[in-house]
Amino acid sequence: MNFNELIKKDFVLLDGAMGTMLQKSGLKLGEIPETLNITNPEAIISIHKAYVEAGSEIISTNTFGANSYKMKNCGYSVTELIGAAVKNARSAARDKALVALDIGPIGQLLEPAGSLSFERAYEYFKEEVLAGKDADVIFFETFTDLLELKAGVLAALENCEKPVVASMTFEENARTFAGVSVACAALTLEGLGVSALGVNCSLGPDELSPIVKEFTSITSLPIFVKPNAGLPDPNSNSYNVSAEDFAESMDKITDFGTVKLVGGCCGTTPDYIRALKDVISNKSYKKAKIKTDTAVCSATTAVEINQPRIIGERINPTGKKLFKQALINNDIDYILSQAISQVKAGADILDVNVGLPEIDEKEMMVRVIKALQAVVDVPLQIDSTKPEVLEAALRIYNGKPIINSVNGEEKSLSTVLPLVKKYGASVVGLTLDENGIPKTAEGRFEIAKRIVERAKALGIPSKDVYIDCLTLTVSAEQSACKQTLKALNRVKNELGCKTCLGVSNISFGLPNRPLINHIFLTMALEEGLDLPIINPNDELMTGSVRAYKVLSDIDKNSRDFIEAYNEVKTQAPKIASSHVSLFDAIVNGLKGEAGALTEKALESKDAMEIVNGDLIPALDKVGADFESNKIFLPQLIQSANVAQVCFEVIKKYLQKNNNAPVSKGKIILATVKGDIHDIGKNIVKVLLDNYGYTVVDLGRDVAPELIVETAIKQDIKLIGLSALMTTTLKSMEDTIALARKTPELQNEDGSSKVIFFVGGAVLTADYAEKIGADYYCKDAKESVDTAKKVFGN
Amino acid sequence: MIKLSEINRKEALRYMGSGNLKANEAMNSLMDKCEEKILSVAEVKYLYKKIPLKESGLLLGNDIKNHLKSCENAVILCATTGAGIDRLIRTAQVTDMAEAVVLDALASCAVEQICNKLDKLIANEYSDKYLTYRFSPGYGDYPLELQGEFLRLLDAPRKIGLCTNENSLLTPTKSVTAIIGLSDKPVERKRRGCACCNLKETCKYRKTGEHCEL
Repeated sequence: MNFNELIKKDFVLLDGAMGTMLQKSGLKLGEIPETLNITNPEAIISIHKAYVEAGSEIISTNTFGANSYKMKNCGYSVTELIGAAVKNARSAARDKALVALDIGPIGQLLEPAGSLSFERAYEYFKEEVLAGKDADVIFFETFTDLLELKAGVLAALENCEKPVVASMTFEENARTFAGVSVACAALTLEGLGVSALGVNCSLGPDELSPIVKEFTSITSLPIFVKPNAGLPDPNSNSYNVSAEDFAESMDKITDFGTVKLVGGCCGTTPDYIRALKDVISNKSYKKAKIKTDTAVCSATTAVEINQPRIIGERINPTGKKLFKQALINNDIDYILSQAISQVKAGADILDVNVGLPEIDEKEMMVRVIKALQAVVDVPLQIDSTKPEVLEAALRIYNGKPIINSVNGEEKSLSTVLPLVKKYGASVVGLTLDENGIPKTAEGRFEIAKRIVERAKALGIPSKDVYIDCLTLTVSAEQSACKQTLKALNRVKNELGCKTCLGVSNISFGLPNRPLINHIFLTMALEEGLDLPIINPNDELMTGSVRAYKVLSDIDKNSRDFIEAYNEVKTQAPKIASSHVSLFDAIVNGLKGEAGALTEKALESKDAMEIVNGDLIPALDKVGADFESNKIFLPQLIQSANVAQVCFEVIKKYLQKNNNAPVSKGKIILATVKGDIHDIGKNIVKVLLDNYGYTVVDLGRDVAPELIVETAIKQDIKLIGLSALMTTTLKSMEDTIALARKTPELQNEDGSSKVIFFVGGAVLTADYAEKIGADYYCKDAKESVDTAKKVFGN
Repeated sequence: MIKLSEINRKEALRYMGSGNLKANEAMNSLMDKCEEKILSVAEVKYLYKKIPLKESGLLLGNDIKNHLKSCENAVILCATTGAGIDRLIRTAQVTDMAEAVVLDALASCAVEQICNKLDKLIANEYSDKYLTYRFSPGYGDYPLELQGEFLRLLDAPRKIGLCTNENSLLTPTKSVTAIIGLSDKPVERKRRGCACCNLKETCKYRKTGEHCEL
């Protein structure tokens, strides 16, 4: 018997708890349960045996924490521990049960919440998967981070042939600790190709019941359910649901349908499994009805494409000077601010395109996706023409994304669709091929049909293919608009596919483009457009979608519409601009006034005169006020932000007059390797930015090698390092030491080319000197003073 | 159950500049907005457990031995405001750095307040014992590296999603681990003074004659 045959049965009985059974049998405080596989195999085998005797058809190895991170000091290797564990389980299972290699979380949070990288997590799991080569199936259990679970599932599917079961742990609010929702877990895991998925631990069967029910409405894969025996008493550590009550609750849960693999987690014993066996032995399995249409998701937000959803198009360098510059300068914050503003404006999904010849698109795409996932909740649409860029992004994407795009060309179909299948994404299908864009609706419909058929042949459901019938410029080809709309209608109604469309191309070359765009958008929505790709910051466009949803009875009781427009606008600070000077605007943090005041000042004053006469003195005043405890840190930052608005106005003015603004000097900033507290570094960045320095921000948890490499590549002589904790000061020392011994960073006379300034809560001037730093800065203000000293300005 | 209802603003203001300075109207309204966000996003979670100290492996360094000298048992604890708070602060760092600083300060105060409430809860539960004050890895010579061991003993990664990274920093970041000694004899219930604080050399409060409320 193997796993794939076993799950053809109505129900599959799993085992109960290992950990709480071991505690009962006298596990000592501090003793590591996984080492018992080697030091006391009899104890483990007897627990396994008890479960097999109770009727378990699959037993899980005692390897929950057997990864090399958790086991680093236990005296045994992962291979030894898992090898012994599988052997123990096998000797108890004989031919009566299958053996599941049990894999739990690594015990460290992944980026961005922690500092473990996806790639490193993959390696930890791969080691476990290979060590468990003699098991029959792999159970990933008790996960709370979907991306960590994805790393595990990929490590299993890519390194062995075994079926994989993935289970997450939810709290009573139907979210995991990392905020993952049931829908997001189900959509993502089903897409990755697991054999079964579900929930275990944290709660008893009654509390888990609504969560399981939700799973059954989203996925048709067999569902795995292993509740705790209720909740533990904090003192006695005994659980409050009896074996009989447990079985009774599980009886109700299996009634939902789709639930197939059942067992118990913490607090359950062979008695619970016996009781459960009685319940399922007389039942037959059925499938629940799926309620979800096609959907995409991040780790926390699922977006069902059951009504028009806005895809924000602004993360794209095409035709955008500032965006291109941001990509070249590695200015991730600029991209993030574009993302946040689109979401605020009403985007449901964000398209992400970072293709630019001057940069490494693959590396940038991964960086941007990781950064976006850390700050926005909406699902992403990964937009690139290069399969290798798509795959790199698909690996680290936390959820189920959309791929933009595949088209009817053979080369595209054969390279993009396999990626869509492997990573379980949705995909945009463009109705063009080797011969270009067909002029007629029929031609485009045929290509759409071909794309859907090819997708189906690979096992990609047609509901996950979103067809783009392509917008052509109406000023060049006036009749084309009707063809696009006609094709869209046919795709929607005859193929049953969802549709998407980039809208704003339609008006190119015409005056009053917004008017054309918004009417075209309305027409397309009426023909059945599901995914308009637009600039959500354009109120008329976003508003059209909202209004359409009201008028076509989608937005029930106009709830979303009212919510969007009924907001009380917050009042701007009540200060008449005529009474405020630029200097005062900065000192008092009046952001709303500063831009206009700067523009006004430029009418009568030279740009540099404003910088040196108003901006810098104002910043110096708030700096001095902060130093003498007259204002709080946020006020200093607010002033700096106002100054930034002024600098932007001046920069634009200078560019218009062909006077490129002069940077006062380039500075690297980084929070050192291992350290994830980067708010201090970011405060320093804001101030340096606003004093006119160019900051190359390398982020947090930055390896010494990257800092040194950047200094060499960009020829930067001033480097600021931040570390918050005593444990990470060592990385600061290592970084400085590496720079000091790197030949490229030395002058001919042996002196160092680079100057380091360091800061952080636990640093002292003495310590800074000891580790070879040139300057110790006690706060952000002193960092600016240091930069002034170094650059002499 | 410990709940977070109101955050100690005076302490938060101290983190952001000075405890002696009064916030103006703009600063207060920024604090209002940020406090509301923190209270709606925070998911307070904590664990504690009584352990015998002998052979616990937790008595490393002189400071903790001295602190727990009359204790055979102790309560180890951990608390967190959850991963959502980190995300909130991270996002604010992109949109509005001033707000990020206020959120950060308020969140630090929040976790401290949770610990203070946890102290009381534990004191009630062990009212037949004398309790030392709360001592955390990182105080004095008590190694920060022990944070991972605290979490392991409490099963914190699984139970409340609290972990350390490879450098023994807690994630989510607004979290605490600590130990409270249980003694049958009265213990000197002194404050956690500056003497064992790692920041005593650089502390800006000390320089101005103030001290923090830790």
